[in-house]
Amino acid sequence: MTHFSTQSNIKATQKSSALLISKKGLITLSSVLIFIFFIVPILRLVWQSFQYDGILSLKHYTTILSEPFTWNMLKNTAFIVVVSTILALVLGVTFAWIMAYTNFRGKKWIQIFIMLPFIIPSYIVTIAWTQFVKDLPITVNLYSLTGIAFLLGVSHFPLVYMFTVNVLKRIPKELEWAIRTSGGSRIKTFIVVTLPLSLPGIIGGGMIAFLSNLDNFGIPAFLGIPANITVLSTAIFQEVIGYGNNAFARAATLSVLLALIALIVTGLQWLLLRRSKVMETSYIDHTPRVDLGKWRSLVEIIVWALVLLFSIVPLISMLKTSFVKTYGVPLTLDTFTLYNYNFLLYDYNKVGDALQTSTILAIATAVICVVAGTIIAYMRIRKNTIFSKTLELIVAIPYTLPGMVLALAMILAWMQPIPGWNPGIYGSIWILLIAYVTRFMFLQVRGSSTAILQVSTDLEEAAHISGASVWAKWKAILLPLFLPGIISGSVLVILNTLTELTVSSLLWSSGAETIGVLIYNFEQAGYTTYSTAFSAIVLLYMSIFAGLLYGISAIIRRKRVSHDH
Amino acid sequence: MITELKNIKKSFGSTDVLKGIDLTIEDGEFVAIVGPSGCGKTTLLKILAGFERPTSGELLMDDALMNRVPPEQRNISLVFQSFALWPHMKVKEQVAFPLKHHRFVSEAFKKQPDVRVEEMLSAMSMSHLADRYPHELSGGQKQRVAIARALSPAPALILMDEPLSSLDAKLRIELRYEIQKIHRQFKKAIVYVTHDQGEALAMADKIVVMNAGKIEQIGTPQEIYYYPETPFVADFVGKANLLEGTWDNDQFSPALSPNVSWHFPKVSTSFKQAGLCPLRPEQLKPTADNQHGIEVEIQNVQFQGREMIYTALANETQLTIVSDADTRIQIGERLLVGT
Repeated sequence: MTHFSTQSNIKATQKSSALLISKKGLITLSSVLIFIFFIVPILRLVWQSFQYDGILSLKHYTTILSEPFTWNMLKNTAFIVVVSTILALVLGVTFAWIMAYTNFRGKKWIQIFIMLPFIIPSYIVTIAWTQFVKDLPITVNLYSLTGIAFLLGVSHFPLVYMFTVNVLKRIPKELEWAIRTSGGSRIKTFIVVTLPLSLPGIIGGGMIAFLSNLDNFGIPAFLGIPANITVLSTAIFQEVIGYGNNAFARAATLSVLLALIALIVTGLQWLLLRRSKVMETSYIDHTPRVDLGKWRSLVEIIVWALVLLFSIVPLISMLKTSFVKTYGVPLTLDTFTLYNYNFLLYDYNKVGDALQTSTILAIATAVICVVAGTIIAYMRIRKNTIFSKTLELIVAIPYTLPGMVLALAMILAWMQPIPGWNPGIYGSIWILLIAYVTRFMFLQVRGSSTAILQVSTDLEEAAHISGASVWAKWKAILLPLFLPGIISGSVLVILNTLTELTVSSLLWSSGAETIGVLIYNFEQAGYTTYSTAFSAIVLLYMSIFAGLLYGISAIIRRKRVSHDH
Repeated sequence: MITELKNIKKSFGSTDVLKGIDLTIEDGEFVAIVGPSGCGKTTLLKILAGFERPTSGELLMDDALMNRVPPEQRNISLVFQSFALWPHMKVKEQVAFPLKHHRFVSEAFKKQPDVRVEEMLSAMSMSHLADRYPHELSGGQKQRVAIARALSPAPALILMDEPLSSLDAKLRIELRYEIQKIHRQFKKAIVYVTHDQGEALAMADKIVVMNAGKIEQIGTPQEIYYYPETPFVADFVGKANLLEGTWDNDQFSPALSPNVSWHFPKVSTSFKQAGLCPLRPEQLKPTADNQHGIEVEIQNVQFQGREMIYTALANETQLTIVSDADTRIQIGERLLVGT
């Protein structure tokens, strides 16, 4: 026994030193990869903005900032971002309060409809609304600053809702009761308890909505470009595709401006939310706290009407347009035709190609993100070293940066990674893959983190103490427990990649059009009947995809939760 | 297997959690480690398990140095406070898992794991629930499964980290009995960490009292209870009153009434040097003899069914006195108490 133990002891030491070496190698390798894919493009972008005719200069900044066009564009950007964020906050917080606290019926169902405007790509929402306002008895011009702001608000209020509703549910009921039993009124309770304690959620949601409004390309592109209204994201786009003198450098300069605004807002959010970690562990209370009494039916009717208006009513108008052959013809039994669908699915090759391209990209992105993102999340949560913290931060940058900025950074980094050498990545499908992976990795890290946090370290220690090796632990214990959460995270990655437009609009090449790019091209060319029909096809495709993945994750979950009762 | 800890130290940053621990766990011995939260007992257990490495010192198992050996290569198992059952595995799969992976499982168990699983489950009276998932079990049943899982590979040392503290009072008593039973039946060494001195006194062969990263005393339950070596042990294990006064060999005179003299053999010198006398609540009794009694005033009374707990004030010193339930003393009453 003694002899055996000593021997195994020596073996263990050797093994652990071998592990240590490979660990060092892995850390170096991943550092290099992260540096090349996440850091270099951003450095290239910043560097480019200071390049004027081959010399280092502030010339682009001074020129751009002296043009009246720039200030007009910045004013537009400020207006639509502020107005849409306020709209998102009002809608998001109101719905969140009603769903978290009142005895509203059918909450489960309405939650799905509340999330729809966020899940449906914003350019499809825009197409739907442009068709919907045509069916209204009054004239509404969506091709305006207020129109853009309105649609941004509608697309992003679910973000505020998501952030706020769980924070509200986590505020312990007892804190409210303590105010009431001390003689405080319901309004006093709201001011003293509910508002201050839910502020982290409201601020967090508001900031994310702000960033999304700033970042969005689809809505200002579809509504603003025809009306000659330019905002930061469309300005960068037009600069790049305009191929003017110093186009890339000027676009890079605008990108640095846009990135700065985004980073300042993110920093602000971090500062404001830094101290509000306390509530995260408290328990989620789903029981209603406010009895709407005789108002219940009225509130239910109003909320349902609004939510349906924001989620599916415009889609019906969109469907109507997709069923007529010539744009503008009203839909009747006589004009009804499946011509657009037939044409798109069977006669127009680009549609099948785009679906295929986006699907391949989505699956490849999801696979890479699941593996790398889960490893990063695991290291961040279980090891919590400076290395893993930095890693998480770096991975968050491309997600926080506006998509247009990331796209330009990708072009600059991969056009000629080393001056004079073009590996052909830019101009092929590969640059889209690289851009998607860097952009959406953070979503997977977050999804996997949630899954990992739900599994206590005790369960891992129990595996080790039962003799399991690292490999056996992952195979028998961790993967089965993490998998449903990892899949939920990858659904987000897949849906986002499938219909991505912002990054793709700059990086696509002919022969590798994605879904978003194809719809954009239809719209630009004025083929509204095709774009509406293709949008309908895409929505159906997305729901099949999501349904499939959620189905798999539900099966895994059910297998271990509900058994012979 | 004999487990030895030699001058084990552990620091996290600048905090010294363990300040030199020397301890031997004999083969088959039931050792309880007690101490208040933050005394380092959990860290010590984690070092024994291999989840933490000592900063210095030696951990030996049968003379082999184990400091850097990972948990899966040690001949041990662990019962967690939180049960740590894998939510996706049936009861029988939980118990079978170590049979597949533990490095020290005998060939007989490996060949017929089902037989071993059944043996373990019936030892813990859990056979009828073999096909259940953890979420279908009560707290007590979960901990029975966790104990069966720890036992199944027949490790030489079983570590238990406050295994009963997340259960209610009745189940705690029930499982105490079960743990004693399996210790007698399987004769494996157990290191049992707890903050409940009652559990330690009830089950252990040897108690280790820890405080602030150090061992205060090692001894049998009787030694620890009747003959504490430090004021901390007297307070923590015996809930003793500490009375100030002067010692003359084995004679103690409390400072409150110097004319009183009590005879206490075998009180540790650390008390004598500090001028303190440990008096357990049940040692103090009402007396009429003013040569042997100090005057106290009763401040509070708690009826406990089997006994009465009085809080009494002797001058400025607060004393706890326990007597049988028949004694009736009123709040505010002044009387003499002695031993």
